[in-house]
Amino acid sequence: MGDVNLEHITKRYGDVTAVDDVSIDIEDGEFVTLVGPSGCGKSTTLETIAGLTTPTEGEVHIAGRDVTDLPPKDRQISMVFQNIALFPHMDVYDNISYGLRLRDFEEDEVDRRVDDAAEIVQMEGMLDRMPDELSGGQRQRVAIGRAIVREPEVFLMDEPLANLDAALRVHMRTELQRLHRELDTTIVYVTHDQEEAMTMSNRLAIMNEGRVQQFAEPLECYGQPANEFVAGFIGSPSMNMYDATITGDGLETSFFEIPFDPERFGLSAGREVTFGIRPEDVALSDSNQELGDPTEPIVAETDVVEPIGDEVFVYLLLAERSDHGRTLSEGDDELLLSTPPDRALTEWEEERSVRIRFDRRNVHLFDAESGESILHDLGEPEQAEADDPGPEPEPRDGAVGRERDATTEQR
Amino acid sequence: MATDTHDAPGGARAETTTETTTDQRDGEDEDAGPYTRWVQRSIREPGRVYRAMFVVVTIFFLVTTLFPLYWLGVLALTEQGKMTDVGLVPNGFNPAVFVEVFETVPFHWYMFNSIVIGLVTTAIVLVFASLAGYVFGRMEFPGRTPLMLVVLAISYFPPVAFLLPLFRLFTGNVALTFPGTDVAITSPMLFNTPGALVLPYSALFMPLSIFILTTFYAQIPDGLERASRVEGTTRLGALYRVIVPLSAPGLATAGVLTFISVYNEFFFGFLMTDGQPDHWAPIVWGIFRFQGQYADLYNYMAAASLIGIVPVAVLVVVAQERIVSGLTAGALKE
Repeated sequence: MGDVNLEHITKRYGDVTAVDDVSIDIEDGEFVTLVGPSGCGKSTTLETIAGLTTPTEGEVHIAGRDVTDLPPKDRQISMVFQNIALFPHMDVYDNISYGLRLRDFEEDEVDRRVDDAAEIVQMEGMLDRMPDELSGGQRQRVAIGRAIVREPEVFLMDEPLANLDAALRVHMRTELQRLHRELDTTIVYVTHDQEEAMTMSNRLAIMNEGRVQQFAEPLECYGQPANEFVAGFIGSPSMNMYDATITGDGLETSFFEIPFDPERFGLSAGREVTFGIRPEDVALSDSNQELGDPTEPIVAETDVVEPIGDEVFVYLLLAERSDHGRTLSEGDDELLLSTPPDRALTEWEEERSVRIRFDRRNVHLFDAESGESILHDLGEPEQAEADDPGPEPEPRDGAVGRERDATTEQR
Repeated sequence: MATDTHDAPGGARAETTTETTTDQRDGEDEDAGPYTRWVQRSIREPGRVYRAMFVVVTIFFLVTTLFPLYWLGVLALTEQGKMTDVGLVPNGFNPAVFVEVFETVPFHWYMFNSIVIGLVTTAIVLVFASLAGYVFGRMEFPGRTPLMLVVLAISYFPPVAFLLPLFRLFTGNVALTFPGTDVAITSPMLFNTPGALVLPYSALFMPLSIFILTTFYAQIPDGLERASRVEGTTRLGALYRVIVPLSAPGLATAGVLTFISVYNEFFFGFLMTDGQPDHWAPIVWGIFRFQGQYADLYNYMAAASLIGIVPVAVLVVVAQERIVSGLTAGALKE
């Protein structure tokens, strides 16, 4: 049983709070990713689980045991490090068997386990190589072999793919997922790459400034981000966001208005909110892209068109141009739209006036002050029934899937 | 353009040299003497000057270091009776002195004492300096730099400052009485035992080793130690299994330097024993044994000195590469 429970973990270094009251329950066999920008406390949290760092406050439980005060070696964990950390003075066999030999396993048992592990990570026949004779990917595989050979309750991985080149990273990502399926062991994975996090994990813990912002399945983080930070961090390209104010009959920003009944969502007029819409939930009004519940068309001007292949990114400017006098520095009137490829589109010139629509079903509103999410769907209930079954719109997932494929290709 | 600086031999040059110098490089005074031409060439090509200076300095260094050894050889080979007016060549040839040294005095015993004391001190220093180096090199704690400076400052103290208190301590002259009782603890009699040498040597030569090992241990990536700890060692286990093996050049450097320092040490070696070989007197006593009441056997002393150099010379030749790479490795990496 490799479940991991963090209870109110806080880690302070002097005046700096690296991890602030983090509580996560990770179930046995789950692949959980701690993701966030650098300095968000994700690595410190992982080190707390490993025992390399002692939390200032809080408790760590692994497999139901309180391990807060146990050294790393007694925690039934193994770890893969960002800098791989193979022992340079030992060959592959010695590296993989290091932990077993320290635990006085029988020689036959060590040999058997090392062979098994080497087979899983496809390093058979290279056991007598030294680490400096291996390529980056091979070293990473040896490090993973060293981690799995002890059959621990939990694997901890601290950005294990960060030092690999792009092609190898995508390949190792698949291998890690295969490994997780084969071993069925709990994996706690740390990365700053939201795409890596989205594609690999059962659940994500998105962290910022030492706190867990949202702990949920990837699609939930994508579709119902808990706050403005999660909304901006998850998804590539990022969500479009604008400052908005609730009015008596909808909301207005500096660039557009969207009519709806605020009272239906318990919003009072005059409240400051942040309006968010993902690029794929914006459509050109003359395209045949279907939106769940389109808004009235909004006028915008094209700025840059980027054909990606299976998708086209159109950067639009919402502000009305005062005789072409726009300065480059203001970016808050930009809107990014992604749409299926269209030959006509790629031949567009800049500064063409277009009309766009938002999908009300996928409008996100966040409190302007706290950043907490208010709602993820502005759709009219009666219209929703006409278009989709159920109040939680299913097409959302389809849209997410498309987006994820697209971002993978884009790298 | 051409300067008319002639020095004495060059000034007499006839115009017949014109033909031979036409193919020489531009800017060279055809009429100049060899010295002037050398200077002119050096100005165009400063590397020549550096090479020349290198040769001069190297020769100076070799003469000052090697000539005393040669002189010892001359003295050793000169027979006792012909010891007056010794020139650059020995007065006679008497290699038998290198054997007689061991027959007259148990010189091998003194050498054994020195080597054992050196090895024991080196072992103690490496163990404790490793622990200290680990702490200084790999851990963050308040006061780390001041503490390191204090440790280094101790190594700058003159050994004589420690001598009197240590001598009293090691001869059992320091007593500690517990107040209100008759129980007193007298300091142990370490005089004439290896303890009287090993203890002060370890303390005196420890700071240098701590410093060397600190720089080495600090360079071992943190990930390796963490990996080792996750895999199943304590911090000490990681030090012993990962950090120390990877710092072998540093350890060799610290060890060799410590051994040589102890082996060469005069002050405590001379004062902490009464000079008997079975009282762990080191080589210095063995050499002084040839200094008698009525005669100084200079040829024996010279021979003994040369023999005494051999172990260290062998050690340096064997470990030279390690030491050089060890001393510079710390400087090259950051």
